[in-house]
Amino acid sequence: MNDYESALFKDKQIGFLIYLGAEAIMFTVLFATYLIFTPAEQGPHPTEVFKAVSVILSSFFLLSSSGTLIAAEKGLAKNNQRKFITWFAITLLFAMIFLGLEIHEFYTFVSDGYGISVNVFMSSFYVLVGLHAAHVAFGIGWMIVLFIHYMRKIPMSLFREKHKIFSYYWHFVDVIWVVIILLVYLPYLL
Amino acid sequence: MDIPLFGDTLFVPTDVMAAWVFTILMAIPIGLFILKKKKVGLIFDYVKTTNHRKIGTLYILFGIVYFFRAGVDALFIRAQLAFPNNDFWVFQGEKYNEVFTTHGTLMIFFVAMPLLLGLMNVVVPLQIGARDLAFPFLNAVGFWLFFAGSVFFNVSFFINMTPEIGWTGYAPLSTEQFTPGAGTDFYVFGLQISGLGTIFTALNLIVTIIRHRAPGMKMTRMPLFAWATLITSLLIIIAFSVLAIALYLLMFDRQFGTGFFSGSEGDPVFWQHLFWIFGHPEVYILALPAFGVFSDIISTFSKKVIFGYPIMVISIALIGFLGFMVWAHHMFTVGLGPMANTFFAITTMAIAVPTGIKVFNWLFTIRGGVVRFTTPMLFALGFIPSFVMGGVTGVMLSVSAANFQFHDTHFVVAHFHYVIIASTIFGIFAGLYYWYPKITGFVLGEKLGRWHFWTFLIGFHLTFFPMHITGLEGVPRRVYTYTEADGIFLLNFTSTIGAFLMGISMLFLVWNVYKTHTNGKKVGNDPWDGRTLEWYVPSPAPVQTFDPMPIVKEIDPLWYTKLENRSLRTTTSTRPAPIETESFIPISMAMALFLLSLGLTFSLYWLAIVGGIGVLGLFIVRSFTDEREHVYGKEDSYE
Repeated sequence: MNDYESALFKDKQIGFLIYLGAEAIMFTVLFATYLIFTPAEQGPHPTEVFKAVSVILSSFFLLSSSGTLIAAEKGLAKNNQRKFITWFAITLLFAMIFLGLEIHEFYTFVSDGYGISVNVFMSSFYVLVGLHAAHVAFGIGWMIVLFIHYMRKIPMSLFREKHKIFSYYWHFVDVIWVVIILLVYLPYLL
Repeated sequence: MDIPLFGDTLFVPTDVMAAWVFTILMAIPIGLFILKKKKVGLIFDYVKTTNHRKIGTLYILFGIVYFFRAGVDALFIRAQLAFPNNDFWVFQGEKYNEVFTTHGTLMIFFVAMPLLLGLMNVVVPLQIGARDLAFPFLNAVGFWLFFAGSVFFNVSFFINMTPEIGWTGYAPLSTEQFTPGAGTDFYVFGLQISGLGTIFTALNLIVTIIRHRAPGMKMTRMPLFAWATLITSLLIIIAFSVLAIALYLLMFDRQFGTGFFSGSEGDPVFWQHLFWIFGHPEVYILALPAFGVFSDIISTFSKKVIFGYPIMVISIALIGFLGFMVWAHHMFTVGLGPMANTFFAITTMAIAVPTGIKVFNWLFTIRGGVVRFTTPMLFALGFIPSFVMGGVTGVMLSVSAANFQFHDTHFVVAHFHYVIIASTIFGIFAGLYYWYPKITGFVLGEKLGRWHFWTFLIGFHLTFFPMHITGLEGVPRRVYTYTEADGIFLLNFTSTIGAFLMGISMLFLVWNVYKTHTNGKKVGNDPWDGRTLEWYVPSPAPVQTFDPMPIVKEIDPLWYTKLENRSLRTTTSTRPAPIETESFIPISMAMALFLLSLGLTFSLYWLAIVGGIGVLGLFIVRSFTDEREHVYGKEDSYE
């Protein structure tokens, strides 16, 4: 990256981090909503709804996808095309598996009769975890677009920049998931 | 009015009919004018622009348009309240609820916000020596989201589905059970879309101020308007994010069967908390930029550097910080308990301290200065006593025990109109008169400006001063009539006279703009003998500014060059400017979100899906038309 590009990149970095700050506030409000309304006075209790297996499994894939993305970035830094593509593809795969597990979890909940309007605990669960899942879905689309840019061979410095911004997003989505585990699931699985 | 339609009759209230007729009658001459003057190209130019001055102009233009609509709403309210047991046109009962809802919502979200963001967009880059906002494309997205949100909100009136829940949208009234119609959805989505745009613009302004200042323009040398913009933008990021989630939850309550704010488990007070955690900082989001405008104007027209610059900055920051700790003073009567009420009463009173410091510093800036009574300065001078009156009633309201008497009366209405009109609206007028040459190249006429100022100031006090008294007599707000026995007829009638005087004063502004553009002469860079960098560039500000870039050595750099009869030192080695581009993507994104919201409002899920796919598709289009692809070097390789 030359001076010109790194100045524009620095703008973008700060701008995107501020955006993530705004998102963090949004999630904070949703966490607060969840904590206020859970457990609800009537209807299903979190202990009977949550299944440890599904949480552990999906967490495994999402959290390790942060690591695989870092590995991909290392490949990119060393101009090691094969390393980058491999790890990037694994990240994408893990993200898709996570989303699949998440959809499966929601599907099981709903077919067990734990829909969004059953009680206020389920409502606050769905609006929070659902918004996170939407972020993962958006991230998957973003990864695919990034990959096409890589194949199109846009200027390398621009690709590095785009990849870096995406990695901030992806790690942010992971951090939110960690907080979800800690506040949403863990208190009712232990 | 009943209209026959395919053998059916359709009931359309006469005010909606009038709105249609008026809009069509206005659209025809405006359309003909555009065609005759061959201005279609100009419109397209503005639609696809990402230039900060043009986007700022668009913000201001639509802010003014909505100001007239919301102002007419206010006149309807005052006409209805002019006489006891009055039946003015249709504005009783539900219609009255609609009219005060649109008045409040429009004035806050679609008048004050865009006018301030517009001024920031035009002025802040010029003041700090930036060539544009840091992200020009995002700036256009921010504007068009505001535009789509505002159109979405306004459309509801034309199809007789106006929201009637007050600008605060209190639950459970705003939930599906009590307002099942589409009106409340227009409120939810209109605010959601425009709020998102506001977050983007705020983020953009922060990065611009942090990263794009001219060489030597340290943070401690920035004009106070730029400082106010920076802190306001931080408040916007926090407050509007909370509002976004509050509206998101309300949307789920209304559309998808959750029960956060009503029902046996939901909590209406939770909405109040969320709304006011947004809503109170919002008050400072409106006031702080106005403080910045006044600081610059008072300094310029007193020919003195602002008194106590560091303390002015600190007090802005302190007001912003305390602004997040006072929200429950809107909820003293909810029953949060004496501890909570005491805490919020004390933090509220504490805000008076930094605000008071600012007032004294303005006075000390004027003291001993060479004061020129131009129109912007008149608004600044009118602001100080009027705003202090609003501040004093604010401290009265913060006494939580006394608040039980004041709550939801006209006293509160008087208070917040005194603070918001005196600061935000006066600030906007002052800023528009002051920076009009930077936007258009003309200075607005002084004589009509003075007419505008005096009629507006007198009308404002006539309207709202009597409300203090009626409020203390116990007249509740949001109630459409009173009886003769209440003994408040004369006070109300005075208010109505004042409101119409304010309406007339706006006609002076219109006349002034018209006259200036037909007879006015273009002015040079520096019509006001200014002090800061925006007066260094030509009027109107060109697309390419600061070439070469000035080097800043002190506060008010331009002033000292004039004083010492030298020119600003300049340099050609500057940080890279943001990349200008032209694109139809921002407006298309906003229209796609408009369709998405329309689909959700009327449960037309196919339309919502089309809109959603449209937004995501445009993200991809944007990614593949990135203007940086052609600018970035190819020295890094893929191998």
